[in-house]
Amino acid sequence: MESPQFSCKLGVLSRPDASVIFCEGETVVMAGIYGPIEVKMQKMLIDKASVECNYRPKRGLPGVEDKLYESLIRNICDTALVTSLYPRSAILIALQEMHNSGQLISCAINAACLVCLESGIDMKFMFGAVTCFLTNQEELRLMPPISDSAVKASFVFVLDNVKERILASHTEGSFSMEQYEEAQDLSRKQIKNVFAFFKKTLNSGKEM
Amino acid sequence: MAKQYKSLHPVKYYRDYLSHNIRPDGREFDEFRPTLLNVGTIDTADGSAISKLGRTTVVCGIKAEFCKPKAETPNKGFIVPNLELSPLCSPKFRPGPPSDQAQVLTQLIADIIENSHCIDLKDLCIFPDRLAWCLFVDFVCLDFDGAVVDACILALMGALQTLCLPSVDYDPALDNKLVNLEKRISVPVHSTPISTTFTIFDDKIILVDPTVDEENLCSGILTIVLRGDEICSLHKPGGSPLTDEDLSSCIEKCKQRATSIKDLIKTVVKDYNNK
Amino acid sequence: MPKDHKRINGPEETVPYNLFTKLNTKTLLTKFEEAVCNGKRTDLRVPEEHRKIFLKSGIVSQAKGSAYIELGKTKVIVSVFDPREIPNRTDYSLKGEIYCEFKFAPFSCVKRRQHQQDTEEKQYSAIMKQALESTVCRHEFPNFQVDIYALVLHNDGSVLSAAITAAGVALSHAGVPMYDAITSVTLGIQDGIRLLDPNCEEQTLCEIPISSKQESSHGVIIVSMLDTHEQISQFYQYGCISVEDLSASVDVLKQACKNIVPVVQKCLVKHVLRTLNEDVED
Repeated sequence: MESPQFSCKLGVLSRPDASVIFCEGETVVMAGIYGPIEVKMQKMLIDKASVECNYRPKRGLPGVEDKLYESLIRNICDTALVTSLYPRSAILIALQEMHNSGQLISCAINAACLVCLESGIDMKFMFGAVTCFLTNQEELRLMPPISDSAVKASFVFVLDNVKERILASHTEGSFSMEQYEEAQDLSRKQIKNVFAFFKKTLNSGKEM
Repeated sequence: MAKQYKSLHPVKYYRDYLSHNIRPDGREFDEFRPTLLNVGTIDTADGSAISKLGRTTVVCGIKAEFCKPKAETPNKGFIVPNLELSPLCSPKFRPGPPSDQAQVLTQLIADIIENSHCIDLKDLCIFPDRLAWCLFVDFVCLDFDGAVVDACILALMGALQTLCLPSVDYDPALDNKLVNLEKRISVPVHSTPISTTFTIFDDKIILVDPTVDEENLCSGILTIVLRGDEICSLHKPGGSPLTDEDLSSCIEKCKQRATSIKDLIKTVVKDYNNK
Repeated sequence: MPKDHKRINGPEETVPYNLFTKLNTKTLLTKFEEAVCNGKRTDLRVPEEHRKIFLKSGIVSQAKGSAYIELGKTKVIVSVFDPREIPNRTDYSLKGEIYCEFKFAPFSCVKRRQHQQDTEEKQYSAIMKQALESTVCRHEFPNFQVDIYALVLHNDGSVLSAAITAAGVALSHAGVPMYDAITSVTLGIQDGIRLLDPNCEEQTLCEIPISSKQESSHGVIIVSMLDTHEQISQFYQYGCISVEDLSASVDVLKQACKNIVPVVQKCLVKHVLRTLNEDVED
């Protein structure tokens, strides 16, 4: 089955502690991380670091939909990072959508994982995301169909690399139970490629 | 004594209860709170419903207004859902613009409405490219005690089933509209999505229909929305990972829940129409 | 209007459908005559009769105190939260603050309300604050603030007095020290007829002069009272009312406020009994 190509460039920005520009298929997201940094009094947690996420759409101000993505990514990073090592501090992850051709959420999540890995903040596990599309012909695929109207449903799965359990799931459209399971199996296969790409990137130094 | 223990060691308090296979409010892990639905209580709205899950209370009111359809979709109307988590319902919320949580839940509800196709937007069109209905679906939370999305979706279904729009005579040549308030027509509801929320406690125990304390202490939340045999949203926003078996057992529980909730909606709407 | 990025926005321009109904050619005078026909109102009340009140405390489990009130179709819910420290405040205030927020639910009125507080709601919040400030023993919690939120679910007239009465109950339910129970009543006056506890239509009819006579009074009066010493804690009036009419109306309102007190007391007694029973069980 055809699957999206990954490419990325690390350290694209000079100010953040780590940054990455990540492409999944034709979708591109830029991510930066600051941390651990000073935290506002209201958000301070005494037993762990507070993880914040900032998601910006391609243009305009973030809307309600972007808030949903933001909270999704924040929750995932909060689970994956060992926040208890940095009490009374904050970890800020900033994401900027550059181009969306269907796999925006999974691309943003993968970019967030890469930037967390690159920053050297301790993590419990790696996480990766895969988007599957169910076309109107009830066919599952990893590449986004050319037009949005050809999509019956889309699934985003976020899995960890230790036991490949589901960290997060977000779906659009309606589908049957079997289709959900099939999509899950497919994403389990694909996630191996994602993790392999992460490892290759980190081993090979700065550029891919 | 229990009260002090609860406020000093909330997590330990819960663990003690859960180790005896019971929740602090006396429920089993997979037991739902009593569910209530009341429809058509607010005359000023075109459709309204109040739902209660235990102490969680949500009012849904739908108000219809005229608008012009979008140029790219000339034969479609609009649905504009918004959830208001006002400071009235919980000390967690402050006056001012909607909190992040309100925005996230609003989007989730909007996604559910869109994915379930419960209302065909084409039914809301009065005259293509000229006139359409815009349904403002407003949810107001009166008591924030967990599983708010479930309560919202239940109230939404009640409100949609009792939604009555006045009939309109539209004259396209003169752009004249005449509304006949006496003659009201209901809008066809094509499906009944039912939402169920679960929380994962300490990475392994799954609690159904959580209260707000459980939501605050848990390590993960999962919301499943079913429409008949199909899933129209499976939303798990991070938190502790879940195995496949757990997930399928959750879906199984949703299915059982969906039948009883559907019966509830049916009887409530029937009683209302007979009145 | 600027776009609200924190809510889902509909199409840019929407119009309520009520504007396109068959034109109503009735004059205000005939409308008013229909509203008060042979000394009876549309809901068969006599002009100086209050609607039946349903009052319940302890509606919102997350709030310290709460109350729900129904006057006919009017439905209002009020919740009160613990005194809390006033954020970003450096100077010492001898008396506690009261923060009131009055809000109409978007679907509560004939015309859809916006989510943001509009000027009418802000004014009602201010009146509510004024009414409650003299009722609460504010010296008991210096430098602290009590938050009171009122939400109208269904507006069928007299919403502000309903909110003030309910706020009084909610405050006592929350255990905030108070001098006395507060009750509030609205009265509309038009063409020499006093309509106690007007519903939405009657209230609008009282707002504008409809009689050709120059000297006839019209307007709305809202009065809140502390019963024990018959003290008026808040008085708000608009329209044009002659002094004689006003003083006569205040007497009517005084009596009406007195009549509500037993309802409030009963509600509070119920709450006390419930708490006692719970304590016994513990």
